Amino acid sequence: MLSVLIWVPIIGALLIALLPQKLPAVNVRLVGLFISGLTLLWNLFILLKFDVANPGMQLQENIPWNETLGLNYQLGVDGLSILMLVLNSLLTWIAIYSSSKDTPRPRFFYSLVLLVSGGVAGAFMAENLLLFFLFYELELIPFYLLISIWGGEKRAYAGIKFLIYTAVSGALILATFLGMVWLTGSKSFAMSDISTQSLSATLQLILLIGIVLGFGIKIPLVPFHTWLPDAYVEASAPIAILLGGVLAKLGTYGLLRFGLAMFPNAWSTIAPTLAIWGAGSAIYGTLTAIAQKDIKRMVAYSSIGHMGYILLAGAASTPLALVGAIAQMFSHGIILAILFHLVGVVEAKVGTRELDKLNGLMSPIRGLPLISAFLVLGGMASAGIPGMTGFIAEFIVFQGSFSVFPIPTLMCVIATGLTAVYFVILLNRTCFGKLDNNLAYYPQVFWSEKMPAFILAALIIFLGVKPNLLVRWSEPTTSAMVAAIPQIETQITKTVSPQIVLK
Amino acid sequence: MDFANLASQLNAGTILPEGILIITLMGVLIIDLVSGRISSRWIGYFAIAGLTASIAALVFQWDSTHPIGFVGAFNADDISIVFRGIVALSSVFTILMSIRYIEQSGTALAEFIAILLTATLGGMFVSGANELVMIFISLETLSISSYLLTGYTKRDPRSNEAALKYLLIGASSTAVFLYGVSLLYGLSGGKTQLSAIAEGIAAGNLNQSLGLVIALVFAIAGIGFKISAAPFHQWTPDVYEGAPTPVIAFLSVGSKAAGFALAIRLLTTVFPLVAEEWKFVFTALAILSMILGNVVALAQTSMKRMLAYSSIAQAGFVMIGLIAGTEAGYASMVFYMLVYLFMNLCGFICVILFSLRTGTDQIAEYSGLYQKDPLLTLGLSISLLSLGGIPPLAGFFGKIYLFWAGWQAGLYWLVLLGLVTSVVSIYYYIRVVKMMVVKEPQEMSDVVKNYPEISWNLPGFRPLQVGLVLTLIVTSLAGILSNPIFTLANNSVTHTPMLQAATAVKAEVSAAITTQPQQF
Repeated sequence: MLSVLIWVPIIGALLIALLPQKLPAVNVRLVGLFISGLTLLWNLFILLKFDVANPGMQLQENIPWNETLGLNYQLGVDGLSILMLVLNSLLTWIAIYSSSKDTPRPRFFYSLVLLVSGGVAGAFMAENLLLFFLFYELELIPFYLLISIWGGEKRAYAGIKFLIYTAVSGALILATFLGMVWLTGSKSFAMSDISTQSLSATLQLILLIGIVLGFGIKIPLVPFHTWLPDAYVEASAPIAILLGGVLAKLGTYGLLRFGLAMFPNAWSTIAPTLAIWGAGSAIYGTLTAIAQKDIKRMVAYSSIGHMGYILLAGAASTPLALVGAIAQMFSHGIILAILFHLVGVVEAKVGTRELDKLNGLMSPIRGLPLISAFLVLGGMASAGIPGMTGFIAEFIVFQGSFSVFPIPTLMCVIATGLTAVYFVILLNRTCFGKLDNNLAYYPQVFWSEKMPAFILAALIIFLGVKPNLLVRWSEPTTSAMVAAIPQIETQITKTVSPQIVLK
Repeated sequence: MDFANLASQLNAGTILPEGILIITLMGVLIIDLVSGRISSRWIGYFAIAGLTASIAALVFQWDSTHPIGFVGAFNADDISIVFRGIVALSSVFTILMSIRYIEQSGTALAEFIAILLTATLGGMFVSGANELVMIFISLETLSISSYLLTGYTKRDPRSNEAALKYLLIGASSTAVFLYGVSLLYGLSGGKTQLSAIAEGIAAGNLNQSLGLVIALVFAIAGIGFKISAAPFHQWTPDVYEGAPTPVIAFLSVGSKAAGFALAIRLLTTVFPLVAEEWKFVFTALAILSMILGNVVALAQTSMKRMLAYSSIAQAGFVMIGLIAGTEAGYASMVFYMLVYLFMNLCGFICVILFSLRTGTDQIAEYSGLYQKDPLLTLGLSISLLSLGGIPPLAGFFGKIYLFWAGWQAGLYWLVLLGLVTSVVSIYYYIRVVKMMVVKEPQEMSDVVKNYPEISWNLPGFRPLQVGLVLTLIVTSLAGILSNPIFTLANNSVTHTPMLQAATAVKAEVSAAITTQPQQF
């Protein structure tokens, strides 16, 4: 059942690659839309099937694959991954939808996008470390090609930078996975087989640091973030949506799944550092965003800031904070998607992304009024204005983290305030003001181009006023994850924990 | 000694695959003499049929109950069968590539195939040789044929220079190897058979003696030359650049596989007493090869030279399995050599195709190729990405198994270095992919602009296409459907008594090591 999410896009990708060469780009795009739409519907169906009360893995699939390596095709979904799967298929559909109708080399483009989508779905569902790594590395080459073929001016540089950073991250993760499996003496890479509790505190810490660094490059956390502005800015709008909306989530997901859940002891040791790191990341991201002159670069740095909150929430690891982390992952995904989509439209119509050149887009007749309105909405959602999903997620994060790490939480609150600052700068420079009479002959924005923004805006507001639909999926899973942490602490002090005896 | 006893001692059936090959070789030579140039139409297919028959004969030898032949001089155990199969298969694909290449260079095809088959024969005998003289003779058969092949396009000064360089370095490294081997003969009290030497050394209480260490180092010098491990690699880039491309395809897989087969047999059988020492030496070689191969490959502009450094680096990866010295370690070497065969040959077929159509093999000239030749672009991209270890291609699983085996044996730093250098290797492999795929039509190189219309009907192109498609399919799918290959690799190790004996000692040691972490 879960396999459909992987294999429909991947087989669809092969199908698209084999389409006749003469087919115009529009039709290839339609095929891509159809396949990703099918995946999205199937994903919603899985969401219906998902049993919210069950904290464990659901809809599991297990097929033996490679005994020698301990690599098995094990899939499962729980509260941590279900929303990410939905996000992935939703954003893939949106990305394909928002791609230009005359994309050069369309068959290659859409098959790479679908391939990436299938791979990301696989990574979110994998219950086997090596299988996860396989899907994780699967993103490497398609994304490299997507950036460096269909990107902006400096795409070659951005592509290679992305490739190297991601490859290093992959190497770190693989080394840690090998360490986890071999040092614990586990027979296979299955997640359920590995229990790191038998390891010494030092070893656990070393392995956890490997995980944090490996995924920290992908998230990205501050010293390892330098690939991000280049990759996001040079990538075309649909690819930026996928990069920021989905791929960054792979990093935070990996951190929670393999860091927090598998090393609860060591996690609590480094949690204060992580909290400060997350808060520092948030402040850094917002401050740098304020200094930017390019709207896409601004949005890219805002992404770094928003990822900091997730790290803070993960470090706090109260039940509320973790629910908030997952909510933030989802809402950041859709907010970033709407922003990148709108920036893409503005760039396509106006022809520039410079803050100094853009002006007065709000003007009802000759400007881009509806696009500007959505931009205002997206900016507000990103800055954490109540009534929209961004506020809900951030508020839960702060509420959940304050009791544990008050200072970093306050730093993050300041960062949210600063987020409002640069978005106001952005909106002020682009939407307000007067149009330049000599340059303002912008092409019309078609309804079809506004569609993704409509859908995402509706989703942002809907989840903002009815947040239950955002948080209900992950609550049991996150409380179970948090429950694992105190349980281990008691285990150390009392040597035999009552829970284990009862089992 | 009566005849029946002698026949059973000889056990000539063990070399049936090589026997078939000798007959094919003779056939090729005689047909060439009788019918001359006309035969070049089909002589390649005749040789391939012979090689296929030889591989079929290998399949029937699998798990044979009497693997020892020729009074102990030849051992047809499962590990030798796997390596002989790799050598023969690499020869099959080399012939597929060379039919057009040699024809175009204006030299005789039959002679080329005859020398290539001789090299194959040598390589196959090396894989199973169990006695010093036998090892030396088969190694020389392989080497001398390789010198001839390297200088085969004799009007090309680069080919001549490569042949000279290869000959001088090769002959001296063989001499060093011979000196080590003769030391072994003396140390063991006049034994030439490998297991007898080990017993002789143990009986003479010569473990850790200086003589044994010198013999070991000299033997490694010979082996390192064949597998082109740094610092015995200097011939590789020049020979790869100068020699005809099919030849280096064979040298990079067939000759290297023979070298690894020899390394496994010689080191585990003769030098178990100095296992720590040879592991130390090979660790040094592996570190050097991985670093040098991968880093220097970054700066190459010629495709063949880049593949030369890449093959040095790949040898470094394979050595991790050898150093691990566990069952999984040897099995991962076998597995990697098997997938390396397909991915490397796939790459070389594409290089040959490109140079046949355009006459150059500079990396910069590949730019914009996807428009003119999609199949070639796909083949070369997949093979290079697989060499870089990108999932889900065959090379990824090969590397994972090597690293997994290395980590299990406690070689943490070596595995980490392997991981880091793999990242480096991705960079230079992707550079070629970038040239072919990413470049816009207006950035197309002149050569690609004038790319001839693709036609597979020209003489000799069909076998190239068959070889390309076959290797491409295996490279793409051998990772996902890797279970049979894994089983083959594992069985080849577990069914080999020699390796069983070697790893049994290891298992005791590692059991003692693995209990350590619990003391934390």
